[in-house]
Amino acid sequence: MTQKLAFVVSNLFKLKSSRPVLRLTTLLLLFGTTLLLSSAVMAEDQQRSVTGRIVDNTGQALPGVNILEKGTINGAISDVDGKFTLNVASSSSVLVFSFVGYTTQEVTVGTQTTINVTLGESATALNEIVVVGYGTQQKRAISGSVSNVTEKNFNAGITRTAADFIQGKVAGLTITTSTGDVTAEQSMRLRGTSSLTGSSEPFVVIDGVPGLSLNSVAPQDIESISVLKDASAAAIYGSRSASGVILITTKKGVQNRTTVDYNVYGAIDIVSNKPDVLTAAEYRKWASDNSVDISVFDKGANTSWFDEIMRTGITQNHDLSISGAGTNNSYRVSVSYLDQEGVVMDNYQKRLNTRFSVNQKALKDRLDLNISGGLNQRDYQATTTYNFVLAYNVVPTIPVKYEDGTWWDSDEYDQGNPVRNMTYNQAPRKTGQLFVNGKATLKILNGLTAGVNFYKERSSYDAGNYSDSRTRQGRASNGTASRSSSTGDKNLLETTINYSRRFDRHDLNLLGGYSYEDYKDQSAFAQNRYFVTNLFGFNNLGAGEQLLTGDVSSGASMNKLISFFGRVNYSFADRYIISAAVRRDGSSKFGPNNKWGTFPSVSAAWRIIDEPFMESITGVVDELKLRVGYGVSGNQSGLAPYQSLALYGTSGLYWDNGAWHTAYAVSQNPNPDLKWESTSMFNVGLDFSLFDARINGTIEYYNKLTTDLLYNYPVPVPPYLYSTIAANVGSMENKGLELTLSGDILRKSNLRWTMTVNAAHNENKIVSLSNEEFTTSVIKTGSAWVRGGSTNTTHIIQEGYQVGQFFGPECLGIDDDGKYIINDMIDGIAGFTVADYTYIGKAQPLLTYGISNNISYKNLELSFFIRGVLGNDVLNFSKMSYANLQWLPGANVLSTALTMGLKQSPFYNSFYIEDGSFARLDNLTLAYSLLPKDMLGISRIRFYATTHNLITLTKYKGVDPEVSMSGLDPGIEGREYYPKSRSYILGVNVTF
Amino acid sequence: MKKLTLYLALIMLMGFLTVGCTDLEEEVYSQLPMDSYGTTASEVNSLVAPIYTRLRDFNCVGSPAPKENCTDMSVTPTRRGGDWWDGGAYKEMTLGMWRPQTSAAINIYNTSYSRITNFNQIIYLIENSPAITDKVPYLSQVRAARAQRYIELIDCYGNVPLVTDFTDLTKPSTKTRAEVYNWVLSELNDIKDVIRSDVSASSYGKFTKGSVYFMLAKMYLNAEVWNPAGGPKWQECIDACDVIMSLPYSLEVNWKDQFSANNENSKEAILVAVNSISSSFPARGYTLHYLDPKALGLPGSANNGICAMTDYVKSFDPDDKRYLGSFLIGPMLDPATGLVIKTAHGRDLNHYVDITIKYAIDADGWGQVEQEDGARCNKWEYKKGATAMENDCAIYRLADVYLMKAECLVRLGTDNVEATRLVNELRKRAFTDPAKLKTSVTLDDIRLERRFELAWENWGRQDMIRFGTFLNPIPGWRTLPLPEFRLLFPIPQTAIDANPNLTQNPGY
Repeated sequence: MTQKLAFVVSNLFKLKSSRPVLRLTTLLLLFGTTLLLSSAVMAEDQQRSVTGRIVDNTGQALPGVNILEKGTINGAISDVDGKFTLNVASSSSVLVFSFVGYTTQEVTVGTQTTINVTLGESATALNEIVVVGYGTQQKRAISGSVSNVTEKNFNAGITRTAADFIQGKVAGLTITTSTGDVTAEQSMRLRGTSSLTGSSEPFVVIDGVPGLSLNSVAPQDIESISVLKDASAAAIYGSRSASGVILITTKKGVQNRTTVDYNVYGAIDIVSNKPDVLTAAEYRKWASDNSVDISVFDKGANTSWFDEIMRTGITQNHDLSISGAGTNNSYRVSVSYLDQEGVVMDNYQKRLNTRFSVNQKALKDRLDLNISGGLNQRDYQATTTYNFVLAYNVVPTIPVKYEDGTWWDSDEYDQGNPVRNMTYNQAPRKTGQLFVNGKATLKILNGLTAGVNFYKERSSYDAGNYSDSRTRQGRASNGTASRSSSTGDKNLLETTINYSRRFDRHDLNLLGGYSYEDYKDQSAFAQNRYFVTNLFGFNNLGAGEQLLTGDVSSGASMNKLISFFGRVNYSFADRYIISAAVRRDGSSKFGPNNKWGTFPSVSAAWRIIDEPFMESITGVVDELKLRVGYGVSGNQSGLAPYQSLALYGTSGLYWDNGAWHTAYAVSQNPNPDLKWESTSMFNVGLDFSLFDARINGTIEYYNKLTTDLLYNYPVPVPPYLYSTIAANVGSMENKGLELTLSGDILRKSNLRWTMTVNAAHNENKIVSLSNEEFTTSVIKTGSAWVRGGSTNTTHIIQEGYQVGQFFGPECLGIDDDGKYIINDMIDGIAGFTVADYTYIGKAQPLLTYGISNNISYKNLELSFFIRGVLGNDVLNFSKMSYANLQWLPGANVLSTALTMGLKQSPFYNSFYIEDGSFARLDNLTLAYSLLPKDMLGISRIRFYATTHNLITLTKYKGVDPEVSMSGLDPGIEGREYYPKSRSYILGVNVTF
Repeated sequence: MKKLTLYLALIMLMGFLTVGCTDLEEEVYSQLPMDSYGTTASEVNSLVAPIYTRLRDFNCVGSPAPKENCTDMSVTPTRRGGDWWDGGAYKEMTLGMWRPQTSAAINIYNTSYSRITNFNQIIYLIENSPAITDKVPYLSQVRAARAQRYIELIDCYGNVPLVTDFTDLTKPSTKTRAEVYNWVLSELNDIKDVIRSDVSASSYGKFTKGSVYFMLAKMYLNAEVWNPAGGPKWQECIDACDVIMSLPYSLEVNWKDQFSANNENSKEAILVAVNSISSSFPARGYTLHYLDPKALGLPGSANNGICAMTDYVKSFDPDDKRYLGSFLIGPMLDPATGLVIKTAHGRDLNHYVDITIKYAIDADGWGQVEQEDGARCNKWEYKKGATAMENDCAIYRLADVYLMKAECLVRLGTDNVEATRLVNELRKRAFTDPAKLKTSVTLDDIRLERRFELAWENWGRQDMIRFGTFLNPIPGWRTLPLPEFRLLFPIPQTAIDANPNLTQNPGY
């Protein structure tokens, strides 16, 4: 029987008719981003009930499998035991079984009343349902460049946001953790930097709601993350999509049974590498070796200032979700709490996320309603990084406290007690977010549906700061307290209409939509100083005794985005796929002369594997698809509201006959032509699968050109009022190659080792910084400030060079006198001048890569993940700042100062530019799953242990080679760098 | 049929929502659209006000003090360890090596034009405002403020563009120093007798007749330098000074009073930048050592920058109240212990008049000096316990008028008795001993008296150029005389890059 069924199933599968598949796609488009949740009876006669159970190759039940009666919207979802029940129209009905990561199967019902199915894991993932802009598609039908990461491939361990889940997993998406501060968000770059002013962060869409922050969804609620990499996939999001789009889909309830999922983990964090400054013994030895009198500074203590401000961070996390579904409805409710301590004393965050989602069908299943919402709150405190400067600088022979319990402190330049500062000063932050999202989709006629998506959000931010009068920061003002708060309101309304039809071998899908979005922000700030007591902190500003001008302020701003969009997907014989989309965006932030922008895109795919001539090599080549796309997308993140307008702003106070009054002055050079940055991208990709799907991969090449780069370009004063004007001028290019390969190294019945490698190369180049109206030769940027060197810059933005080009003197070494040997012949004339500055390093890597390994043996699973970069430079700013004997004995130095031999004042030059290549064993996880038969109804228990940031291989000599890659001065380990930690995590996941 | 109706209704609802709005106007909340503000007199007042808030640009002893750091009066030395090296910016100023990129040499240019374009816009606003019927009182003040900036430009850069029309966005070209000089002269003559003339609480901190005549006096005083073709204008300068002296200004009896923390309404002040704790006088932060505030009873720290040059300090008569009244000299004591404070180099915090280059000496003779070296500015009172300096800064004051008139009298050789009397009026309050008064004055006496009276007040460069001493070597710093082209600062390279119609001054 099993054999026979397998035969039937495999024969059916060979038909490879994608008609139901496309139906499914259409339906999924209609129903937003979720899988169809309930079954319904559409047919009037011959109705019959079918039941069954779905298992995987190992015989384990598969919950959540989507079962659909082909050609209808009638369907069901398997429960926790893999079981399902579905009423079908007739014996000729065909059931389609699909599940993310598994091969889709079709079974004709015939006379069967029980249909048991074994779904094979789909190595090629061709039938994966992938969320794309305003809909979903099967991976095989996608013609743009889309990467999809689902729950089973997410990074394990401490996850603050979705970025932690996919760090290093997607070729071309560089996620950088630039600091050890637990409150800091990772920076994301997709296919390079493409803006001078605005953010190059990808645009985030959560459950179809555009423009949200990653913080607004708890990681545990995420089911899958799609990354729209090229313009042909992303341009449907118009003027905000030039840096790529990240689509997040949250989990939904599954049918027939209530599922409770509880996940708990605890972690400890230990600093992985801290700066190597002189110890007290080394400091005293230096003094005696050099006959320096340190009696003023040697108080007999042996203090390691970094140890004093650091600690072992403790983290706990609890996730609880309850989900379930009936025949016409489903729900999921979740609560997630994360309490995380940084390895620096004053650094922590506590985060609570709650979310609910309810689905209901009505009007005989023609109407699908979804209401979801949630509450997110975060309490956190970022480290005051200036205390690192003190920890570097204060000599180790000074105690934190004297024996009588009084604190040591100093007002000398860059001296002071960091422990005292961290003990008394406070800077906590509170954020809150409340949102509700309603969706309705209505099936009007066969193939024609209409949808509404409505979203309302209120977010709040509240910051308190108190600089205690006992600390360096608060001493001058006898305590300074401030509070600031802001409230943001976001409203969104989108309507879509969708038509989907298959005629013979032609498959057509049409989408049209309108979107309205507005955002309003209001803020207030107040501060006061001179407090008689420190007891109030920032909780009683009125008690301060010196309220000055500018101590109270408030403001408000708004912006609005209105869009029309449409898309056509057409495929012939499932082999020739073409898709075209257009979006027209109007933004209030654009200047009056450029209110509306149009963003078109087109892409095509050819499934070569389905050509008759490929049949002979089936088994060697299992998948071959060529994709080509071109599109234009925009970026308006660099545009603040009101920049195009001529405005008066307040301009200080003036004295008039015994009283102060507020002055107003023109606040900017208005530019009525201001608009979005425009990125046109060409993308070509090849998807392949070889040797019985043992090796799967994708190779992609892209070329993107960003024009109308926003920047505050220099203009002459006079005639302009200000020396810069926000304008759209320059252009920039990013070209690159991406490779993703995954394969089974071992594939036995009990043992499986899957490895996925992704690698990306991107080449960034400034093409131009000028147009007819504005001319800029170079932009020198990035502060190379070391004590006594305020006018230096680190980077240059120049035509023909990358963003991240280090520019400065070239150092050939240090001579016997302890002076830099500077190459002064760059300009051909002896003598070192600014004309000898040259190109001394590149912050952008040649290659970014990630290697995931997953080894499973029965219920045991080991995964490890290595990521890294190759061929980039990092400016070791700490070495430049602190490896300098000149500051001794009044200030401490890095140990390397004793050996490197520098005796002159440090300044920025290539001596401090180091190879930043690194490979990091970022994640190592061992997990064991128990599937108890009957233990209090518990269906699954999973234990796991993870370590983060275990080993880093690098030639870089500073604290950590992974540094901020944001802005125009990437690749610097700053002088206030927060060292990263290594985490050890133990967790349990229980499902019942 | 019923179903169909329902669906149609739903479609229509969605269609209705779809039509939505397409209005993309920006609503402005916390700023003011230019076309809707400035219609009433009080609104116009607030828009004219930047000419006064911007007077703080003239606060003395800032960083980089370009008009003094290029002379033998003050220096911002590189401190041991490298503080204030700043890419050699201060070395270039002191050693006479400034370039079109040297921030200290070019920042007056940038600031001046930023203000001039702002003031042109205010003039445009007043001229076109139906709310203001009597435009003269407004216009005369703004034109005075604009003329003041052009005088700065004539003085420092000579040949500069002359822009007066806010609406003209063409890139201007360079005018000769003489052209700009003559334009400023005619502007001042236009407004000198229509601008308010009162000296009162309500005119404090405002441009008045006194300020305009003061500017005229400076124009005439430097006429030989700024507009050589027109010849010297000593008598015209005297006439302008006489007008000012006929106004109800008077010298402070106690010289130091006008520099106190609460010096508002000093009758010696002609034009004042009014400061407050929130918009404070910056001297303290720039000149004091990190630990001086501790000794002086001031909260906070400071930055250990500018100090006075040795020979200049030594040229003062120690009996002159203006000596210790201008300079902070000697050991700084910890008020808690009574002991001398120690620096981070383990040395006594003792402000020696001598500034000794000791470390990291380069080929030009520049190097590092001890943290504590050099006399610090002590002219404006450091009020104990005050978070910041609220001392007002007199940009123009009566003592200068006395000295200008005395100088012209000596130069003309007409009335040395009156010149001596004017100088002695100032010396009387500087010395207790009447023997220190002059019986007659030479031109060099006037030159020196200006240096004693106007220490730190930013007249150093202009005076030295007029007296022909600016290019001279500075013992211990500059060994050779400077070439003549350094009598003008260079036009900033950034300005030339942004506007190719500009011409760089010769020599740069």
